[in-house]
Amino acid sequence: MESSRPPDPVPASAQPIWALILDSVGSLFLRFIRILWDSLSDQIARIGEVILLFLRIVKRAPWFFVNPSLTLEQLIRIGVSSLPLVMVISFFIGAVSAVQAEYQFRGFVPSNYLGTAVCKLVVIESGPVLTALVLAGRVGSAIAAQIGTMKEKEELDAMTVLDLDPLRYLALPRLISGILAFPLLVIISDFLSIVGGWIITTLVLNVTTATYVFGLRFLFQPYDVVISMVKAMVFGGIVVLMGYYHGLSAGAGAKGVGQASMRSVVSSCMLILIVDFLIVYIAY
Amino acid sequence: MNGDHLIELKHLQKSFGPQRVLRDVNLEIRRGETMVIIGTSGGGKSVILKHCIGLLQPDGGEVVVDGKVISSKDHIDVKTIRKRMGMLFQGAALFDSMNVGENIKFAVREHEKQHSEADLDRIVAETLHMINLNPDFRFKMPSELSGGMKKRLGLARAIALKPQILLYDEPTTGLDPITSDVINDLIIDMQAKLGATNIVVTHDMVSAYKIADRIAMLLDGRIIFVGTPEETRATSNPYVQQFILGQRKLGAETD
Repeated sequence: MESSRPPDPVPASAQPIWALILDSVGSLFLRFIRILWDSLSDQIARIGEVILLFLRIVKRAPWFFVNPSLTLEQLIRIGVSSLPLVMVISFFIGAVSAVQAEYQFRGFVPSNYLGTAVCKLVVIESGPVLTALVLAGRVGSAIAAQIGTMKEKEELDAMTVLDLDPLRYLALPRLISGILAFPLLVIISDFLSIVGGWIITTLVLNVTTATYVFGLRFLFQPYDVVISMVKAMVFGGIVVLMGYYHGLSAGAGAKGVGQASMRSVVSSCMLILIVDFLIVYIAY
Repeated sequence: MNGDHLIELKHLQKSFGPQRVLRDVNLEIRRGETMVIIGTSGGGKSVILKHCIGLLQPDGGEVVVDGKVISSKDHIDVKTIRKRMGMLFQGAALFDSMNVGENIKFAVREHEKQHSEADLDRIVAETLHMINLNPDFRFKMPSELSGGMKKRLGLARAIALKPQILLYDEPTTGLDPITSDVINDLIIDMQAKLGATNIVVTHDMVSAYKIADRIAMLLDGRIIFVGTPEETRATSNPYVQQFILGQRKLGAETD
């Protein structure tokens, strides 16, 4: 009599090695897809929240004229306080640009164009982008830490209870200050980078001031400066908005505030580079 | 609405993720009384306070303040009602970037535009006097103050706009018994001077007995008992007895 017992499952050890590998790779791939999807949907939700926050702040824009002193205070905090850092960095960006340009040009591009290279690089890209990246670390993280701490210590709730709208008193002045301060800082950064390039080319690379200035003026287009200012304003908005948003969504305790600061810097830097590409693509 | 009740919580429900904090809270607070809500830490007492002032919206049920529902989705009335309320937060929540005087002045300056700076200074001095502090304190920063002083200044900031309803979140937590008693006296004093309706959340029974007109106990997301301090002491409710006697187990003998 034949047995009706189902056959025993094949033990794992009896399976061919390629099947085991395929099984492991498959489950790892599925896990990776699931994590990627979760992360993507989380990011999309966050983008929605940031846009909503931005619109809520913009809705309060008329209040700027009621409390201009709050914006002025932030303008000093964001703009003036960041100035020494921007000045040092910009000077060396200009100097490095000049040295690199001279090295790349050596032998086949005349030194007349050193100033052109420094000017173009600084005005179009390094001025607004590097300044914004540095300020994302200095300004964005400070805003995230401050708002996160205020949330943790219930100061934001206290403001709401006193009918002092945090978006009006905290977010709006910071956003306007960011949008106004960044272009000013970028103008200073551009100027100091060009000065840095000039000092290096004249003192180290044996190029005369007249030659450097000829290069600066050659191919100079005011349109580049306009686009640079547009970028700076957008980047200023991004840095402040990311700082405020991550401060608001900070977790509890020192760890939560630290992570909020870190996230604000990371997301600001990513957005700055993505938006930079979009602006360049549209403008040129 | 019963005209005697200033605040009514009706079938209030609130969850945070999977955790159901308030299951079905029903409570009426009479005009001019001091209602103390007691309950275990993390039980949802502060959540009730935040619903009363519109900082949180319930998942279900209603919060009615002076006949107006402040917990509806559009909550148009919240801002109007909030101007009549003051709140002392558990950690005082003073604005760290401002000195004591600015902490008190800030909301007054924004809401009562008619005041000159001299008027505001006078209001600060009067408010500090009400909480028995020297006017010179107005120049100090919050970081220079002790825990008890921060609580008193949190109260000073809350009363500067002369609210009709005062909410206290754990006013004596973390303070020594003597400073706690100073805060208790201040709460009683504020009720007498402002005629305010007080809601106090605490697990400090000494404080509760001293300041309460009525005591409500929150357990498992529901109000399981409401009574005067005498009724609270005399109740046979085993959960209330366990709490006020500080027993680890229900019906256990105290050591």
